Amino acid sequence: MPTDAMIECEGLTKRFGHFTAVDHVSFKVATGSIFGFLGPNGSGKSTVIRMLCGILQPTEGTAKIAGFDVTRQTDEIKSIIGYMSQKFSLYDELTVYENLTFYGRLYGLRGDALAKKRDQLIAVTHIEPFLKRRAAQLSGGWRQRLAMACSLLHDPKVLFLDEPTAGIDPVARRELWDLLFEFSSRGMTLFVTTHYMDEAERCTHVGYIHMSKLIVCGMPDDLKKLPEVNPPGTKRLDVTSEHVTQALQIVRHLNGVRSATVFGQSMRLLVDQSVNDETIRTQLAQANITNVDIRQISPSLEDVFVTLTANREPEKQKEAA
Amino acid sequence: MRTPFRGFGAVLYKEFIGVLRDPMTLFFMFFPPLVEMIAFGYALDNDIKNMSLIVYDQDRTVESRELVDRFANTGTFRVTGVANSLDDVRTIMRRGKAWAALQIPPDFTRELHAGRTAHVQVLIDGSSSTPALQALNTSRAVTLRQSVVALLQESGRTQVPVDVRPQVLYNPALRSPNFFVPGVIGVVLQIATTFASAMSLVRERERGTLEQLLVSPLSRWGLMLGKLTPYMCIGLIMAGTLFAIMHWLFMVPIAGSVLAMFAATFVYVFALLSMGLLVSTRAQNQMQAMQMSMALILPSVFFSGFIFPRETMPWIFHEIGYFIPTTYFIELMRAIVLRGASLQEFWINVVVLIAFGVVLFMLSALRFKRKLA
Repeated sequence: MPTDAMIECEGLTKRFGHFTAVDHVSFKVATGSIFGFLGPNGSGKSTVIRMLCGILQPTEGTAKIAGFDVTRQTDEIKSIIGYMSQKFSLYDELTVYENLTFYGRLYGLRGDALAKKRDQLIAVTHIEPFLKRRAAQLSGGWRQRLAMACSLLHDPKVLFLDEPTAGIDPVARRELWDLLFEFSSRGMTLFVTTHYMDEAERCTHVGYIHMSKLIVCGMPDDLKKLPEVNPPGTKRLDVTSEHVTQALQIVRHLNGVRSATVFGQSMRLLVDQSVNDETIRTQLAQANITNVDIRQISPSLEDVFVTLTANREPEKQKEAA
Repeated sequence: MRTPFRGFGAVLYKEFIGVLRDPMTLFFMFFPPLVEMIAFGYALDNDIKNMSLIVYDQDRTVESRELVDRFANTGTFRVTGVANSLDDVRTIMRRGKAWAALQIPPDFTRELHAGRTAHVQVLIDGSSSTPALQALNTSRAVTLRQSVVALLQESGRTQVPVDVRPQVLYNPALRSPNFFVPGVIGVVLQIATTFASAMSLVRERERGTLEQLLVSPLSRWGLMLGKLTPYMCIGLIMAGTLFAIMHWLFMVPIAGSVLAMFAATFVYVFALLSMGLLVSTRAQNQMQAMQMSMALILPSVFFSGFIFPRETMPWIFHEIGYFIPTTYFIELMRAIVLRGASLQEFWINVVVLIAFGVVLFMLSALRFKRKLA
């Protein structure tokens, strides 16, 4: 048993009738890492989490957490994992303090041990001022902090977070990630699903699932160096200019430009090495677009996922036919 | 750590707070049963008094007026009007303005004094069978009594030849609340507790908190018992309230031990709550839970002997009654409250109720999957 892998799954598959929600997914998550699990809605992210938590029976394949099998050793697994679901499953009629007490007791904590752990998490999450407030009256950010505190009371080895930042404000989102890094530094393994690319960039490892299949998995920097993402003889450019949407239309029709998208005030291009900055500047100048700034950049994770998903499309069409 | 009831304390803690903080659920657990109890208790009163009687007296003598008084003195009838023709009588009866009509023909006194049979006619509205029966029996009794008195005077005897001395035990006044109210308690308790426990687990499923419980080491037994206990307490408090209403509002004397009543209620409510939990392991949402509970409650209203005596039912319905906990509870309650019976004398009922509870509880715990579908 490799000791450095906290989560291992091999050919993990889940079918609901004729629908395959998760199709032969295999990956490993190293102890102490932050694993970002990405994919569009309905791609199978939550289904994978539920199978790993032992509450959904896989149709095929195996999964292990800390060496325990998710289908046969669910009791062992349940006491070492924490789970924070999409909806922050709190009891609205209980106060913050009571929610913490309930979840602590649920995991067998009582007396001094419970008090100590509860105080510690109240301190970490700064939720002290709201202890007597009902969970129903908390804002999204505080609800999510409370949910997180509740899922950490029993010192889990692995914490699963299913879209923890969906629908909360940017400040709360930033603070949540600060907390996650803190727990990670203490040796906890984190498994996070998200829609946000900037969150994915913060993870030590990422996996991308699309149409029930795991498309890619690895460290963000390694993924950005994949040959499929950086076709030979091409480079990526960031072009800042005025009238960026108008500029996009012009640039798209240039020879050697493979793809172009707008990012706020700038556009990102994938172009052949042969295309030089001057060509772009001249073309834009003809349309009275000046103040053009061009920089060469490395691909973002979004570029990685977009490229890999696009590469899959012909395959899918073949399957359909 | 690996006790079969792990997590029980946590669920109990949360459920108690949850129940106390949810005034709507508490209100709907307590208020309708109280109203139902009072409404049922009054509505099911079979004792018929003061039925309206119209009199068509064609004779108009002292004797005819005495006859009318005898009818009124029974308490069953109350003279509400006078009719002046047979058509009048028919119209009033058809319109439902009177339950019965007494027609005294013009030759009533004459025939009476001549020693011949004097005829009177009593018309009874038979559209409602129970009052009709009561009216029939009363009018027969009144006239029979008068005949007997007349015969005694003529024969010179001072005593009636045969005298029956019936003694009605346990409910000497034959008050119908004494019969109905213990049954009402059984039905009303069932409505409140079955719904409450059927909803509780389904609500967790709907709110998504069930998933959170499933990933924890909480055991199925711990969860089920933790869910059941607060409602058991509420059920017993409610039963106490219902007993008080029965005794002080409906004036039903309690012949047996109050402790035995609570013991019987405990095993009965346990069976009902387990039945509710079984529903909630099946139902996907509160709507389904409601409908399923309703389907379980209705038969007990009809077949438990709560209103209609089971002895008079066709055999199939009589048999169905054996599969309903309420049947055993109502039998037990009537025995304790009215006849002062002990639990030992009705041990079969107690054992059957315990068996219902244990089997339903185990079924619901085992049926509850610690995995998602």
